[in-house]
Amino acid sequence: MSIAPKPNSALLIVGHGSTENPDSSTPYFDHADEIRSRGLFAEVHCCFWKEEPSLREALYMIDADEVYVVPDFISEGYFTQDVIPRELGLDGPTTVVRGKTLHYCAPVGVHPSMTQLLLRRAKEVAPGVKPAEASLIITGHGTGLNQNSTKAIRDQVELIIAAGAGYASVTDAYMEETPFIAEWDKLTPTDQVIVVPFFISDGLHSYQDIPVLLGIESEVGAAASQREIFRQNPHHLRGKTLYYSSAIGTERLIADVILDQVSDFDKAHKSLVAN
Amino acid sequence: MSIASQLRYFIRSGIHRIGELEIHSDLYGYTYALCHWQDAELATEPALGGLDHYEGPAAARDLSTYGHDGEYRFAKGQVNLKRGWVMTLDDEDQLRQALDQFYPACLGLFVAQQRGDLDVQNLRDKLNRQTGMYRFARSISDDGAQELVRKVCGPAHQCAKKILWKIDDATPLADSEASRFNGIPGDLPENEAIPLLCREACNHFVAECRKRAKAEFEAKEKAAS
Repeated sequence: MSIAPKPNSALLIVGHGSTENPDSSTPYFDHADEIRSRGLFAEVHCCFWKEEPSLREALYMIDADEVYVVPDFISEGYFTQDVIPRELGLDGPTTVVRGKTLHYCAPVGVHPSMTQLLLRRAKEVAPGVKPAEASLIITGHGTGLNQNSTKAIRDQVELIIAAGAGYASVTDAYMEETPFIAEWDKLTPTDQVIVVPFFISDGLHSYQDIPVLLGIESEVGAAASQREIFRQNPHHLRGKTLYYSSAIGTERLIADVILDQVSDFDKAHKSLVAN
Repeated sequence: MSIASQLRYFIRSGIHRIGELEIHSDLYGYTYALCHWQDAELATEPALGGLDHYEGPAAARDLSTYGHDGEYRFAKGQVNLKRGWVMTLDDEDQLRQALDQFYPACLGLFVAQQRGDLDVQNLRDKLNRQTGMYRFARSISDDGAQELVRKVCGPAHQCAKKILWKIDDATPLADSEASRFNGIPGDLPENEAIPLLCREACNHFVAECRKRAKAEFEAKEKAAS
């Protein structure tokens, strides 16, 4: 989807970040660089929950009076519904904060265009594997803090099935909720299994925790950027052949999904947007 | 005035430092150049003193991610920036972009302070809006929080930011090296540097408050049993 240039507006990409894993914020900066290179906005910035600049400080970096805020998050949940509105002082789709008009867009993970990115990633990680002979698992965190956190993944599973991609089975699985990703072998009817982590970054969860739950590693390893050898596919575990991809958010085309969310905001809230 | 225009004004008025960065103007034909302040003289020598040369702001993120000790610098006010490089920049926009990577929002915070438009959040307000696992941090005592400032903040503990917040409106920070620090590492007059400002306690400090609050709670429980 193309987007008209917004030379008087800023784009603020909101991410989680980490105090422990330096790779956690890399995709956000990559997405910002990609969009900045297209010259669509007067300014493109990132801000984080766990890194600097914080959400509270972000507006001090911005000159533009109109700011599109896009959560580079995977689902509607605790962060997008509680933390980000609270930290930025948002009370609806559009809020005036410190004299700036902030438009709060939906998170990238809930956009329908994510479906094609997931299918593309599944094909890339398991080249030559016939979908009819493989099971696809989309895996995420899951949390008791917000019921909506798993909705985006369940929706994507339904969209993938509806798209007729031909996989023998498509299912969701989580670190901290049922169905548990640790039981991936029991969740799948085929010998070949493809797992795509529905996370933005190859941070703590997708690169360190889930490999342990899958059985690829016996203990939590070093951060992705500190490894000498990238993990090799496929893995022969529990009598099956497992393909494990990097996080979907590391896909450069997520930049397009961010722009899709800005565009969708404009369409849904025409009366609130300056031209 | 835009933030980039303010930056040009600051530099013309004699400011040449932010955090551990020296800001050079008109260095061998480059409009601006950044380097570690301890490499400032070396950068003025021919061939930029043999320092690794980066053109444009793109490398700022990599240069600021790990310290000279190899540690991940999740807090950007840490005083362990790598040396041995110089970054040349075409204009104020590029300079601003680089500074926002090395010291996120610090330029904008200083501009807001100069305009009298900087909101400061005291520690109690910060702790009271914590949710999830950090909610427990709210119960830290004032004494515990004051001690943490001495043990966690300030250049002796790797942070070069000037603390603007208090415990609450009626409780200023107790006098210490950390609470006195002016946000300017190195020995430099205040009118020659943009100070790094801490307008609210960082995540690291909140995490330490949680640990301390838990220890205080457990000590009380033990005393009562």
